[in-house]
Amino acid sequence: MTDTTAVLGYAWPLIVSPGEPIAFHLSSKTLDGAEATLVRVRCADPDPNGPGLKLTELDCAINGPVALANQPIYPGSCAIIPDSPTLAKLGAFTVGAFLWPTLPGARPQTILSRWREDIKAGWRLGLDADGCLEFVLAAKGQSWRVASRLPLLTREWVLAGGAYDPATGRISVMVRSLDPQAGRDRSVVVEGEGPTSLSWPMDTPLVIAARAKDAGDAALCEAFYDGKIDRPRVYAAALSIDGLHRLCEAATPAAADPLLIAAWDFSQDIPTDQVRDLSAHRLHGVLRQMPTRAMTGVNWNGSSERWTEAPSQYGAIHFHSDDMADAGWAPTLHLTTPSAWRSGFYALRLRARQGNADPVESFVAFFVRAELGKPQSRLAFVASTGTFLAYANSALRLDQVHAEAMLEGLLTLSHDDLYLQEHRELGLSTYDTHNDGSGWSISTARRPILNTRPRGNVFNYGNDTHLLDWLEELGQSYDIITDDDIHRHGVQTLAPYACVITGSHPEYISREIWDAFDAYQQGGGRHMYLGGNGFYWRIAYHPTLPHTIEMRRGMSGLRTWEGEAGETALAFTGEPSCTWRSNGRPPQRLLGVGFDGQVFTESSFYRWLDGARDPSVAWLTEGVDLDAPLGDFGLRGNGAAGIEIDRVEPTLGSPPGLVWLATADRLGYGGTPTPEELRTLHRGIMGDQNAQVRADLAFFPTANGGAVFSTGSIAWVCALSHAGYRNNVSQVTGNVLRRFLDSTPL
Amino acid sequence: MLVNYTAAAHWPIDASRLDLVEEFRRKPRGPHGDELQKLLHRMRWSGDSEASGRYVLVVKEPGRRWALGRLPRMRGKPIEILSNQVFTSIAEAEWEVFKRRWEALTGTSLPPSFKEPMA
Ligand SMILES: [Fe+2]
Repeated sequence: MTDTTAVLGYAWPLIVSPGEPIAFHLSSKTLDGAEATLVRVRCADPDPNGPGLKLTELDCAINGPVALANQPIYPGSCAIIPDSPTLAKLGAFTVGAFLWPTLPGARPQTILSRWREDIKAGWRLGLDADGCLEFVLAAKGQSWRVASRLPLLTREWVLAGGAYDPATGRISVMVRSLDPQAGRDRSVVVEGEGPTSLSWPMDTPLVIAARAKDAGDAALCEAFYDGKIDRPRVYAAALSIDGLHRLCEAATPAAADPLLIAAWDFSQDIPTDQVRDLSAHRLHGVLRQMPTRAMTGVNWNGSSERWTEAPSQYGAIHFHSDDMADAGWAPTLHLTTPSAWRSGFYALRLRARQGNADPVESFVAFFVRAELGKPQSRLAFVASTGTFLAYANSALRLDQVHAEAMLEGLLTLSHDDLYLQEHRELGLSTYDTHNDGSGWSISTARRPILNTRPRGNVFNYGNDTHLLDWLEELGQSYDIITDDDIHRHGVQTLAPYACVITGSHPEYISREIWDAFDAYQQGGGRHMYLGGNGFYWRIAYHPTLPHTIEMRRGMSGLRTWEGEAGETALAFTGEPSCTWRSNGRPPQRLLGVGFDGQVFTESSFYRWLDGARDPSVAWLTEGVDLDAPLGDFGLRGNGAAGIEIDRVEPTLGSPPGLVWLATADRLGYGGTPTPEELRTLHRGIMGDQNAQVRADLAFFPTANGGAVFSTGSIAWVCALSHAGYRNNVSQVTGNVLRRFLDSTPL
Repeated sequence: MLVNYTAAAHWPIDASRLDLVEEFRRKPRGPHGDELQKLLHRMRWSGDSEASGRYVLVVKEPGRRWALGRLPRMRGKPIEILSNQVFTSIAEAEWEVFKRRWEALTGTSLPPSFKEPMA
């Protein structure tokens, strides 16, 4: 078996223009070196039943042996408040916050700490291994501890705190359940003996949701907390639980109170990594590994679902012990991409142990875009980088109960899957849940991504290269542009092209990207949508960090997790997330078709409809037998219509001017409708009984001579190479492409 | 939280329905009749033992060879590969796993005629 993970890496930036610098950040636990070769990707799918792996080796300065070192990844999010004189000389004090723990009892966790684990000194408030709240003080080998008697409940708000009074030599830990009935009460105050004097460690940050392993503000942390924290406070006196409650409840505590040491307001600067202290000490901090912000606080009352409308109700951050946004690896190789390179899918290939039973062949993918305003072709293919990020390191099949039933057969796992099962520190995808069951809403490219590269699992990236392979086979020139660039530069990215193709699964779309396609189509552009489930989820890109997306899943849509009530707006921008359909933009309006279902039993063929016989679309059907099935073959389920599928739906905006060309509406019992298609529950909803579960082929003209052609199926592009590329799917796609590149008005 | 419970699939399996076993052997990839669909749903949802994990295939050679494996329920625990169980077709692998699941879920042994490899 080929070892695809012995060396891993990521390219930064993920996307470059010809002539721009790029760095490869590599790591290996087992190899001290590998052979590096730059390749251009034509087909990334090694399956011998299709085109097979097709990579072109390029002459490149960095080709050759590369020395490798092990670079660990440190997951777990927290807030670091740099050390300060105020914190270093605390006498009597109280710390506390509102908590909504999600994994109490899983392992020891930290809420608030100024603690050095290496010398076991300082103070910390946290959960012990059983999930009980504990408050610990320690210095010079001596420690004092008090703990609540009952573990905290999962996903229940409590007020939690610890207090220390050197004058009395007492410490206390305090819990107050905010819904103390029906068996939920965990309220308790436990007092114990503490020191009468004590000196704190120097050079130690205050950490929220973790504790420092050793000295310094850059110290690594451990004992991360899973769950929400709202309004953490530090006060320079030993407060009673009522006093702590008043302190935490006040959204704006009196900054002039000389005893107020810190009062963090997580509802400020939500799109950023900054945490703000409202006290006069200004103990601001910075977040590590991107915990989830814009989370409902203890005071959220349902009057708004967006943090922008009621920021004071969004004072919580949800920290995860497995959050991972930046692997932080040092660069291993630097390259200035030659300005002569064509835009395209590229990768750094790393080989070792050639000739062994387990040869190493691992890839680090990147994209070379056509420089803005300098098109090299009349055709552009869009690398769906937003979708690639959304699916980055998906562990859906490993973790989710429904996977085998959904896929209608045994899970087939690759070497990458075996690795991901054991190496969750890579960070998962927006399809996955964190260890605490909450959804993964952020994805970045500053980490190895196993499923966006040659030999990776084919869904999305691999499938899309089947289209590249077909274009190369045709001898058709094309530019590569990416979602990230369309988001940033809008329609300017698309406008130079007579025709733009989106791939098998352009599912994750920001408002900026949607607007760009809409403007392109209405400005006379021709858009070939050769996929399924496209333009489905609304995402945002981070306002400043490249290749970083956020999405929220709400109560509608085909979703592998469901966000909490009130948490469907994006922290990066304040925009609502969830499906575009629930944002008033069903994909049917833009593409003619929109998502309606999945089929994994077996893909199907399309049958031509009357629309296809209209002389006005004779150019589309030229050379095609309209009485024969269209696409009764293909590498994804033996048909061109399958996996995720879209249909024409006038009530959701399919244009009146649309020509309904063909349909695949006989999908059998494996055709499963998406949940937002169901008003009520009844039997008879599967494809063997339900004509609304289908894939449709559609064409419509847009303003100024533009047009849209849609296939509504992920399986389509993986049928192009059938029978030596001579087949009716290839013929129809080619007919449309030729006509769309011809500037004669349609 | 919206949870998929492992115990949700509870269609009762009748150990005397060897006709369903025969139907699966003939067509491991379907299409299947109504009752076999229900049986397969039961098996695929959570048919394998909690302790040893889910039966999976591990790709030895893309599109050509697969080994049987067991995926633990717990994240982070390694996937066990049963190196003596290697298949050259997915259908053959589906049949092997079907037999194992049938015997585990019904607590009965399949008659010898089903032990032979697929035709
Ligand atoms: Fe999708």
